[in-house]
Amino acid sequence: MSQTELPELDPVIHAQARLRVVSSLSMLREGDRIAFPRLQEILKMTAGNLSVHLRKLEDAGYVEVTKTHQGRTPATLVQLTRRGRLAFEDYTAALRSLLNPSEEP
Amino acid sequence: MTTEHDDDLPMDPAESLRLIERERAEAERKLTPDPRIFLWPWGFAWLISFSLLFLRFGPGGRVFVDMPDWVPLLVLAATMIAAGAFTGVAGARSGRWISGPSSRQGAFYGITWSVAFFGLSTVLGRVSQFVPDSEINLLWAGAMVALTGALHMAGGAIYNDKSIFILGVFISAINVAGVFAGPGWHSLLLAVLGGGGMLAAGAYAKARSPR
Repeated sequence: MSQTELPELDPVIHAQARLRVVSSLSMLREGDRIAFPRLQEILKMTAGNLSVHLRKLEDAGYVEVTKTHQGRTPATLVQLTRRGRLAFEDYTAALRSLLNPSEEP
Repeated sequence: MTTEHDDDLPMDPAESLRLIERERAEAERKLTPDPRIFLWPWGFAWLISFSLLFLRFGPGGRVFVDMPDWVPLLVLAATMIAAGAFTGVAGARSGRWISGPSSRQGAFYGITWSVAFFGLSTVLGRVSQFVPDSEINLLWAGAMVALTGALHMAGGAIYNDKSIFILGVFISAINVAGVFAGPGWHSLLLAVLGGGGMLAAGAYAKARSPR
């Protein structure tokens, strides 16, 4: 396998912070949404920092952010889209084939 | 956890894979409720209340500890209500950050427990007046524990959790064995093996859960 055949890594996910966000969200069951503060707590990121990365992921169609109300309190819910889940799976597969070029991806 | 500002710095593949695994493990750990909150309240409730029942209403009508007969019955009712309230609140709290299929599944399962016990209590309350005093405790305890065993087995089916299913089978089995052995023995089996079994199951599930 030549160097040019190596898989390209998705630039949206290939940034440490966004990779962490997507990895955590990938643990949710499909269709489940997590509250923003809880996601923030799991990732130990500031609200501003997390918002910036979520915006980028949202722009790529990988993440869906929903503003809603739980009772009277406003809540922001985050979920990985089907496209985001696929991108994450492709990304991990690409990493594995970079590590073991002999194996078929 | 890394919180440096070189957030956009690309990493090498091995490092990225390690990061993914670390994040997924951390998310699982934070999102999985402590299994003990669903098992230990019931374990303690059974251990305490069925021990008292055994001591007051022993096999063959023996009285090991001469306390007023309402004491173990009151303790039984109080510990069951407390355990039910605790697991209900703790279960709702553990799921409040997630909305979607998972939280709906949890809510349906919780409601199932409440409705099933309410329905069974209604029936037993109605027929209790026709049951001889010597068998009344066995009727209530036997029926309630049969339902508990079945609901744990259903929980194992819903959550694809073998250890909860096995706990349900175990509870169902000792219940039937205790009912055959008769009043007194039934209480002893439920206290030691039922209550003890739930405490052990909670400790086992905790030890196996991601930390």
